[in-house]
Amino acid sequence: MSTPRQYKDLEPDEAYAFKLEDLEEDEMILNMGPQHPSTHGVLRIELKTDGEIVKDAQPHIGYLHRNFEKHAENIDYQGIIPFTDRLDYVGSMGNSLSFAFAGEKLMGIEVNERVQSIRVLTAELQRIASHLLALGTYGLDIGAFTPFLHAFREREKVLDLFEWLCGARLLYNFNWIGGVSHDLPDQWTDRVKVFLDQFEPVIDELHNLLSYNKIFTKRTASIGIIPPELAIGYALTGPNLRGSGIKWDTRKEDPYCGYEKYAFDVPVGQGRFGPIGSCWDRYYVRVEEMRQSVRILRQAIEKLPPEGDVHETVPKRVKPKPGEVYARTEAPRGELGFYIVSDGGLIPMRVKARSPCFVAMSIFREIAKGEMIADMVAIIGSLDIVVGEIDR
Amino acid sequence: MKEYFLDFWDAVSSTATGMAITLRHLFMKNETQQYLSDEKPETRWNSVIVPEGLLQDRSRMRLYVKMEDCIGCLQCEKVCPVDCITISTEKRQKTELPIFAANGQGIKQRVVQFDIDMSLCCYCNLCVYPCPTDCIVMTPEYEFAERDKTNFLYRFAKDKATPPEPPEEKKEAEPVAAG
Ligand code: SF4
Ligand code: SF4
Repeated sequence: MSTPRQYKDLEPDEAYAFKLEDLEEDEMILNMGPQHPSTHGVLRIELKTDGEIVKDAQPHIGYLHRNFEKHAENIDYQGIIPFTDRLDYVGSMGNSLSFAFAGEKLMGIEVNERVQSIRVLTAELQRIASHLLALGTYGLDIGAFTPFLHAFREREKVLDLFEWLCGARLLYNFNWIGGVSHDLPDQWTDRVKVFLDQFEPVIDELHNLLSYNKIFTKRTASIGIIPPELAIGYALTGPNLRGSGIKWDTRKEDPYCGYEKYAFDVPVGQGRFGPIGSCWDRYYVRVEEMRQSVRILRQAIEKLPPEGDVHETVPKRVKPKPGEVYARTEAPRGELGFYIVSDGGLIPMRVKARSPCFVAMSIFREIAKGEMIADMVAIIGSLDIVVGEIDR
Repeated sequence: MKEYFLDFWDAVSSTATGMAITLRHLFMKNETQQYLSDEKPETRWNSVIVPEGLLQDRSRMRLYVKMEDCIGCLQCEKVCPVDCITISTEKRQKTELPIFAANGQGIKQRVVQFDIDMSLCCYCNLCVYPCPTDCIVMTPEYEFAERDKTNFLYRFAKDKATPPEPPEEKKEAEPVAAG
């Protein structure tokens, strides 16, 4: 067996997408990352610059590779769920929900109403927490420090609610195949209501603090434009797609967990301060989505069935029949799907994750061309990528 | 030209709006709590949103094993997705005094090694559910940082392995005196 090649063994021109001899006069290759404070993880981007202008940009991924898919072929279904939490580590509830949903589809399990409601509650809270992080750090990338503190103050409350619910703050292992790990504690929904009541004014505050700030709009509303056709061509999903003005939300189009019972709107980018599909539009969609999440949460608390065993349909052993399944949910960053092939054993034969961040990253080269170096950070931030999910 | 000045005005006014919000927050209650401040040692479990004393109810931090109750069934070792539990057992002799776990289950195995590597553990809680005697538990204890990574290997086993019987000594053949 030959030893695997390491990064240091690469030929110099293998590590770089752009060749020195192809460069024209005044052009330069610039490395951004992997340890760059605004790449939200370890992401390396290679820029071909001409002065201030970026001629071409090539993202290099793999610095956070943890071999999720191969690993999943060696552990049982229940054991995979903690690993799915670690894909998009700021939206863990959404990830495990997606995997549990796929597993249930494969086994033909119907979870009861209470479990569905609890899943909606946790998924929407997680969406708020995840968007708060995205918005806060986006402001930070642009140079606005204050909104970050406001966003994290609110996010902390959501994490506290989660810790009270299941004992963990970031990686929950909460959604199981066939149920959820813990029932809601007493008073939990009351405290969620208290949180929502004080959170709604914070959204308006965030708008005044950052969204409509002239400096912020000037910096974001005319860069990183994704026209609707390009967004569809690259199969973008989630807020990145809706920022381009396309009304597509998996919760509406392909409802799961009883999302069809809740009334909510799908906010889309309208190009208010510049062309449609700009960084500002994507940012704005996220803020408005939090408002819709609050709406869903209020309805979910109202409709929460008082009775029901959350472990009712949890199978003793997860041993699906041979077959394959693809299930998708609307994670905070877009459509997250799991494709599972089972050979009838206790461990899956193949698990494939379709991650929205990977797709969002692939469009980066297209939209970065012709922008300024200083805007690179704004464009990456507006795509809201989590490198844990790109590399898996 | 007019637009330029309008932009300028917009920038000033929208920044002033932001400043007003910040100013208002200046006179609000402090949100930041000092971690383990001397005046209020209890603040480490304080939360704005969760009622007092309820936050750590289900906290999943450090693992603990009540060794007296462990029957050595290896369920927890099997289920752990990162394989950070290592258990070895040996059969208790019939002649030994029968002992029982807290729920009345007889203990047939002597656990001579029960190691959990907390630096590998991913705090998933999966090992807690299958345990028949509820002896492996998550505790709300979270301050266990170490300088040396090897200190994270927690050895819970109390019993020592019975040393193997010494092999019978072979009698050396008496040297035959050469004639
Ligand atoms: S909590 Fe999870 S990772 Fe840690 S020992 Fe238990 S099963 Fe293993
Ligand atoms: S599952 Fe419980 S009883 Fe069985 S070996 Fe583990 S700790 Fe001991």
